[in-house]
Amino acid sequence: MLVEYMIVSFLLFAIGAVGVMIRRNFLIMLMSLELMLNGAGMILIVMSYYLGNVSGQVMFIFVAAVAASETAVGLAIAIMMYKRKGSIDINDFSVLKK
Amino acid sequence: MVAIMFFILSLITIGGALGTVIARNAYSSALWMITSFLGVSGLFVMLNAPFIAMLQIIVYAGAIAVLILFVMMLMDRRVLENKDRFNPQYLWGAIFGAGLLADLLALALKFKIDISQAGKNLTINGSNTKMVGDVLFKHYLFPFEMVAIVLLVALVGAIVLSKDDEKEAR
Repeated sequence: MLVEYMIVSFLLFAIGAVGVMIRRNFLIMLMSLELMLNGAGMILIVMSYYLGNVSGQVMFIFVAAVAASETAVGLAIAIMMYKRKGSIDINDFSVLKK
Repeated sequence: MVAIMFFILSLITIGGALGTVIARNAYSSALWMITSFLGVSGLFVMLNAPFIAMLQIIVYAGAIAVLILFVMMLMDRRVLENKDRFNPQYLWGAIFGAGLLADLLALALKFKIDISQAGKNLTINGSNTKMVGDVLFKHYLFPFEMVAIVLLVALVGAIVLSKDDEKEAR
């Protein structure tokens, strides 16, 4: 069962990574980031079970706290983008390219 | 029985993740994300981590999803529903993601650990929550305090970023 659990969490991570790279909506990019963090947290829990060590579950608590703060800052950035340009399409924000 | 439950829950998880990435509407994308988080929480229950499963439901499927939906509520509906879902270079992104997945799968298939301890040492007196609290406050007290400071800094940062700067605009 270990390999199956690992495959599920890696799929979650990879799907999240693809979502960050291909979507244009900034909010959906944030959601895909959450999926990536959740995939990384899930591998912690899987290893915690199969190694018989509860430290992985403690690490998941830290990952969840960091994910929550990351979402708060990301949503503040989204609100600022919306106020400045009235859009959250990521392709409208290429100021640094010019 | 366990294999069937695992199959159903991982189907919910992966299907929810795919729906998040593919859905046209941002609202349905958020609902697919909640579905995926609930599936992951079920998998955590199967892995003898009921406390973390409840934390997953409260923090991810509750707080974070509600935060994102609340921000969507503040925005114009037409802004959220774009004509184009994907970047022009979406093919490269997909190829990169497939390569990442292939790499990770090769790792998973080659991975060998000693699993004789599987499912042991996860409880004190039959309580997983007690064990997590014991390890958290005996061995990881300093990281715990650091995470508290990270949360405080993120709170201040979010307020500073999103406050009205009308003086600068004029």
